[in-house]
Amino acid sequence: MELRAYIVRRLLLLIPVLFGISLLIFGITMLFSPIERASLYVSDPKQLRDLASIIQTYGLDQPFWSQYGTWLGQVFQGNLGWSKVVSMPVWNAIWNFLPATLELAIFAAPVIIFSGIFLGTKAAAQKDKPLDHATRVGAIIGWSLPNFWLGLILLMVFYGALSGLLPPGRLSIGMDAVVNSAEFARYTHINTLDAILNWRWDVFLDALRHLILPVITLSVTNVAFIMRLMRSSMLESLGKGYVLTARAKGLDEKTVVNKHARRNALIPVITISGYLFAALAGGAVITETIFNYKGIGWWAWQSASRLDIPSVLGFALFSAVLFVLVNLIVDILYTRVDPRVRLGGGIQ
Amino acid sequence: MTDFKFMMRQLVRNPLSLAGLIIIAIFVIIAIFAPLIAPPPEGHLDPYMIPREGYSPIPQPPSAGHIFGTTEGQYDIFYGVIWGTRSAFQVGLIVIGITLIVGIILGSLAGYFGGAVDEVIMRITDVFLAFPSLILAMAITAALGPSLRSVMIALTLVSWPSYARLIRGDILQVREEDYVEASRGIGASSLRVITRHVLPNAIYPTLIMASLDIGAVVLSAAALSFLGLGSPEGYADWGQMTQFARNWIVGPSGEPLKYWYAVTIPGLFILFFVLGWNLLGDAFRDILDPRLARR
Amino acid sequence: MEDLVRIRDLSVRFYTYEGVVQAIEHMDLDIRKGETLGIVGETGSGKTMTAMAILRLIPYPGKIESGSIIFTESGLRGEVDLLALSEDRMRSLRGNKMSMVFQEPSAALNPVFTIGDQISEVYLLHRRHELGYRAMQQVEGLLADGKGNPLAGLRRPFWRWQRRLYCKIAQESHPLEPRIVARIPFFNRLLWRLRDEAELLTVNILRDVEIPDPARVAKEYPHELSGGMKQRAVIAMALACSPKLLIADEPTTSLDVTIQAQILELFRRIKVEKGASVLYITHNLGVAAEICDRVAVMYAGRLCEVAGVEEIFSNPLHPYTRALLDAIPKPGKEPQPIPGTLADQFSPPPGCHFHPRCPNAMPICNQEVPELKEVSKDHLVACHLF
Repeated sequence: MELRAYIVRRLLLLIPVLFGISLLIFGITMLFSPIERASLYVSDPKQLRDLASIIQTYGLDQPFWSQYGTWLGQVFQGNLGWSKVVSMPVWNAIWNFLPATLELAIFAAPVIIFSGIFLGTKAAAQKDKPLDHATRVGAIIGWSLPNFWLGLILLMVFYGALSGLLPPGRLSIGMDAVVNSAEFARYTHINTLDAILNWRWDVFLDALRHLILPVITLSVTNVAFIMRLMRSSMLESLGKGYVLTARAKGLDEKTVVNKHARRNALIPVITISGYLFAALAGGAVITETIFNYKGIGWWAWQSASRLDIPSVLGFALFSAVLFVLVNLIVDILYTRVDPRVRLGGGIQ
Repeated sequence: MTDFKFMMRQLVRNPLSLAGLIIIAIFVIIAIFAPLIAPPPEGHLDPYMIPREGYSPIPQPPSAGHIFGTTEGQYDIFYGVIWGTRSAFQVGLIVIGITLIVGIILGSLAGYFGGAVDEVIMRITDVFLAFPSLILAMAITAALGPSLRSVMIALTLVSWPSYARLIRGDILQVREEDYVEASRGIGASSLRVITRHVLPNAIYPTLIMASLDIGAVVLSAAALSFLGLGSPEGYADWGQMTQFARNWIVGPSGEPLKYWYAVTIPGLFILFFVLGWNLLGDAFRDILDPRLARR
Repeated sequence: MEDLVRIRDLSVRFYTYEGVVQAIEHMDLDIRKGETLGIVGETGSGKTMTAMAILRLIPYPGKIESGSIIFTESGLRGEVDLLALSEDRMRSLRGNKMSMVFQEPSAALNPVFTIGDQISEVYLLHRRHELGYRAMQQVEGLLADGKGNPLAGLRRPFWRWQRRLYCKIAQESHPLEPRIVARIPFFNRLLWRLRDEAELLTVNILRDVEIPDPARVAKEYPHELSGGMKQRAVIAMALACSPKLLIADEPTTSLDVTIQAQILELFRRIKVEKGASVLYITHNLGVAAEICDRVAVMYAGRLCEVAGVEEIFSNPLHPYTRALLDAIPKPGKEPQPIPGTLADQFSPPPGCHFHPRCPNAMPICNQEVPELKEVSKDHLVACHLF
């Protein structure tokens, strides 16, 4: 009961943020003159003569707030505009590309989170020992690596030099045909999952082969980040009184570190992992672009490079809303992990 | 300034931060002496545009005339990475500079006055921070039209909120302290209290950390350039050069690594530039961490 | 009386960034069986480090430099030198034969586990055989009762497996099978009876330290309890395995005065009922007077005076002890602060560390370290005056 009240209150608090997000997005479209915006409705050059009437019809010369009201009304009906890249409404394009991005996020997030937590714990438990120094240097290099460049180098080696071992894209051409054929049921559009449901291990392995390099590219920077966060959180936790109590109980060092210290140290890492998943699911633009992995990030890049502003803004709106909602979910999960978090406020 | 001496000694003693200092020093020298290291040819109008020899679409390997080779369209890679260092410093310094000014002003207003001012500013930062930053930057750059200037505006817009929050937090902490209360007690004006007492104590650490974010800013700018939203073709900019070489990562059959230089070299410059700042930043984080200080 | 712990020539040093700190210098101290020994001293005098050295839990960057700590275990094994034991043996003593109660109960309890979990952990660690045996008996009862019942027939194979697991736990010191089972999700539920038995013992020990409604408290998290209740839970955790030595590091300092009195009363009762020796660390001579049998006074890493509690109050010999007693507020008498400041930990004064603050300082005091001498029966003093 208390939990439900908490969720309701958090949802109410979301309203101003969502309002601000919509205002920001709409504000960016208003950087354009009515004529520029009218030309977005044009698909045939002949219609360019009718720009004045388009402005009239869509009320593009109205005051800011009235246009904002109209736009918001459309957004609530799911009308975010038209995506030129794929010739379909933006909303449909998002749903079309989302499964691919989710697939990538589902594979990348656990790899990142678990290896980050594992390495961070080890580094903290062996503070100032060789492993700690090695992970520190690794982390600094990791987050200094331009991920677009890393992706290209990986492709150069694993696709070029190793003759097509790990190719870009989502599926090989042959497998693409299988997936699009009638006897392959697409339940989720997440290829690996569909392949398992269709009992097609060849498709599954092919999809997996295409996921390896994107997952590595996404991991390098993010593992470094989670690892360092985990390390400092662990160090703080290891200095606490309850760790001394655990040692005084006669527990071995492994239990002290992995149970007593880590359980507490995980609390901040869980929040950040939530952000990470939201960011990944909201589109890993660069990674998807390099590997020609057709998810929403790839679509967003295509739209951006063709200056298809409604699509880019629709995408930005979508990922912001996703980001906010995932964070809400993480906060709710938080109350399960840390018994001290009262549903009313912060940590006691 | 014994603190300053202590800090410098720590930096030089730690091999990692020393490496960072050396890397940054090398880049500073490259940027300053770019016209000597890679002199633009006679009559070349904009030194930031890479000179080209011919229009052959196939990259040429390193040779005596072009020690790092040339890209598609025969742009000289050596010239590009040398002058690209200047572009990188320009982007980093301008973005961090403006971001800090905006962040300090809004953050200190919010932190010092509290109440409605604080509420409004914090809700605005909430909105900006609700976006994954690269995605918002991409949207803004696309809306402003692709150019290096748009990239800088976009990066400033997406990064000021976190600095404003940091500085607000610092100020909230310091303003509770006795000497601030005391100076208010003897009737000093708000502005005077902010500039004389709160800012110097609250924000030096934050300022140092922020200025070391130059590496991160350059990395984001390079990413936007890589997405084709930054500088135009032929401009001396590492991100743009990497993007330009994208079609050449795989060579002809038999020689898959034939054009390695086209993509590898600009990327290495980005990597080392960012690495230098991050090495320094990591060391500073330890030095400034009160829990670890002077132990 | 027999000694439980004999500390000889113990030295502990901390190698810090600014220099080396001599936390304990050549300490000789005995803890007798069944007594409460108080260690009294100011902050930084080394009293907590004495306790940590006994448990061998000196925190980084500290190190035990030399000495021996002889611990007399009951039974045949006789005496062991704690400082020479393997880490494994040491762990089997901690929480079992010797345990500690810390100053801050809210810091000492892990916020993310329930009180019951944290106390059960001690039983699951040190009383595994006993728990395994009890659980085995439970399963045997079920197997005997369930004969002829068709529903129970289905569960018999599981019970048999459980019996085998518990039997191994009860008999072997490092049984392989139960350890593997415990790591496999879902299957590890076969071992639930072990936790159940531990929980029973937990509720008992919580009742023992006078916690009302112990079954409910066992299911609560530390933040749901008051400070006094938390400290009782910590004491329960320390008493769980009926230790021979209970170390209490200022257990009442962070509590309200009324609660303090209750906790002191609890310690007094424990000593009588459990027959454990208590090493009671405090900066407060008044508290020491209330519950200790003997008192050891420490200053800057060295013992000044060790004597029975009545002796030390009626006949204090060391000038520092006298100064401490004069600093206690008494009716009709102004409390006298001790002149000067605590010795610098990096470069303490030569000779007797107390001489710069000592009203009776003599030329020899800054040259020679006074030895701890027995001036009368059971009264030891380290001072050149005697």
